[in-house]
Amino acid sequence: MEAEKLGIPSVVIATTGFVTAAQLAAKSSGIENLRVAEYPGAIAIHAPGRIAENIATVLLDRVIQGLTQSTPASMADAPGSGKDRGKIVFAGTLEEVNRFFADQEWTDGLPVIPPTLEKTERFLEYTLRAADDELAVLAPGNLRATLPNVAANAIMAGCEPRHMPLLIAAVEALSEESYNLNNMGSTSGLLPYLLVNGPIIKQLGIECGGQLISKGPNPALGRAIGLIVRNIAGYRPGKNYMGTFGYPLIFALAENEGQTPWQPFHVEHGFDASSSTVTLGVTNNWGHAPAPSSAPDKNGAQITLEVLCRELSKRVRLYNLPGHGENAERAMITLLLSPPVANSLAGSGYSKQAVKEYLYENARMPRRDFEWARRYTGGTRVASSEEHRDINAGGHTQKPDDLIRLLSSPEIVHVIVCGDPNRNRVMVFEGGHARPATKEIKFPPNWDELAAT
Amino acid sequence: MEIFEVLSPAGSEIIKRKSIAPRLDNFDGKTVGEVWNGVYKGNDSFPALREQLKQRYPGLKVIPYTEFPFRYGGDTLTQQKEFARHIAALAKEKGCDALISGNGA
Repeated sequence: MEAEKLGIPSVVIATTGFVTAAQLAAKSSGIENLRVAEYPGAIAIHAPGRIAENIATVLLDRVIQGLTQSTPASMADAPGSGKDRGKIVFAGTLEEVNRFFADQEWTDGLPVIPPTLEKTERFLEYTLRAADDELAVLAPGNLRATLPNVAANAIMAGCEPRHMPLLIAAVEALSEESYNLNNMGSTSGLLPYLLVNGPIIKQLGIECGGQLISKGPNPALGRAIGLIVRNIAGYRPGKNYMGTFGYPLIFALAENEGQTPWQPFHVEHGFDASSSTVTLGVTNNWGHAPAPSSAPDKNGAQITLEVLCRELSKRVRLYNLPGHGENAERAMITLLLSPPVANSLAGSGYSKQAVKEYLYENARMPRRDFEWARRYTGGTRVASSEEHRDINAGGHTQKPDDLIRLLSSPEIVHVIVCGDPNRNRVMVFEGGHARPATKEIKFPPNWDELAAT
Repeated sequence: MEIFEVLSPAGSEIIKRKSIAPRLDNFDGKTVGEVWNGVYKGNDSFPALREQLKQRYPGLKVIPYTEFPFRYGGDTLTQQKEFARHIAALAKEKGCDALISGNGA
């Protein structure tokens, strides 16, 4: 984009699914109609031969067009709208407002409370800032945050007017250079989270104890930040917010300052204990999504299987709930595979069952590590050697460096193909105390008609 | 039934945009630079693309990505912009008529 500003024509190569993200990034940086040449598919998992073929048959012409033709076939819409600030943009019933907002991509998929002018004005009473103040400019959209649009998102999320000072500070934190909101669109699924410190915790009843993210005002506060990231920062799932398997709702934490044996987070970071602060953090909170690729010495399928084995070795449930016997407690492992990864496995001859059996045979860890985890992290104070006699049938070992099998059976592994069809990522869920339960959905006779309304 | 008159939750735009630079008329005697961000197999794709370009346009000179610095990761927005300006200035200095950058994924 900087080359374009210097008068040097350029073309950006992006893989399928990421063209819009590149165009939106250019728009936010002040370049209209950036030329993007689309490489077909998930290049990271393609072998060199396939890459060369895709370049010769598809990409080459697109690169040439990008450097010689100035009119792109399509252009991404700008994620924000500056024209409607402070004005009534729609009038309708609750359902109509929700439908309109969903059509504008202003919601997170859940119903919202309509941000009326009257409600917004009430929210503005809780701040000394002037209504037309620019609170911040948020990347990646480089869109302006103001009191009315922050209040609108807060209302939509279910916040109360007295949450405004906290949310204003959170917006300012989102705009900090060090927070780097601009980089949050990663396919690994980065998610902001909110941490509250200081007297405001008690004043607003923000939960800091058991089940804290699910109680009190915490869910609404987190949701408000999620809507602000969408509507003011300009992140849209599938356009420039590219987490392969999507995002859960942003959650809000508060530190239990009465029970920490140390300085609270905000004091540690230079604030007075009597001040109230909000911190924006980041997490891959429902699991990092590794991206198995191909390499000169191993193909994508082999690397995928090895990545999955390594991921399984980090899943504590496999130490805690190894399971033996027909009715034993056992772990449940769910693998999310994006389509390029699944196709890579299938293309190398692996059925779903073969994948499970590979993992059963090869997901292992040294007995010394297994014993340590069992003894000190599992809450189960029994030696694993007896429990694992069944698991290691035919391969029972005692030496510390011997590799012990982690899965009690191939059948505790469940494989689901989903996620971005253009990205090579996997995610491994662990769970316990439950086994999958599936029921057929029964429909009334006129279901097709009902479903279409 | 209650009717709600609602405001927009969207941020307002502040950026003034300019159009992209004029495109090349042809590739005869032109110099094209490659800029790689260090990820997504540019070390496989750029050499393959370079070979194809040279086959189609024998008079074209390509400056490979190894002649430009690259980095990838958690740079801040300011750092990213500074780095991009540095690359653009370097391309001008090396006589590039056009740039190909990648790979975005």
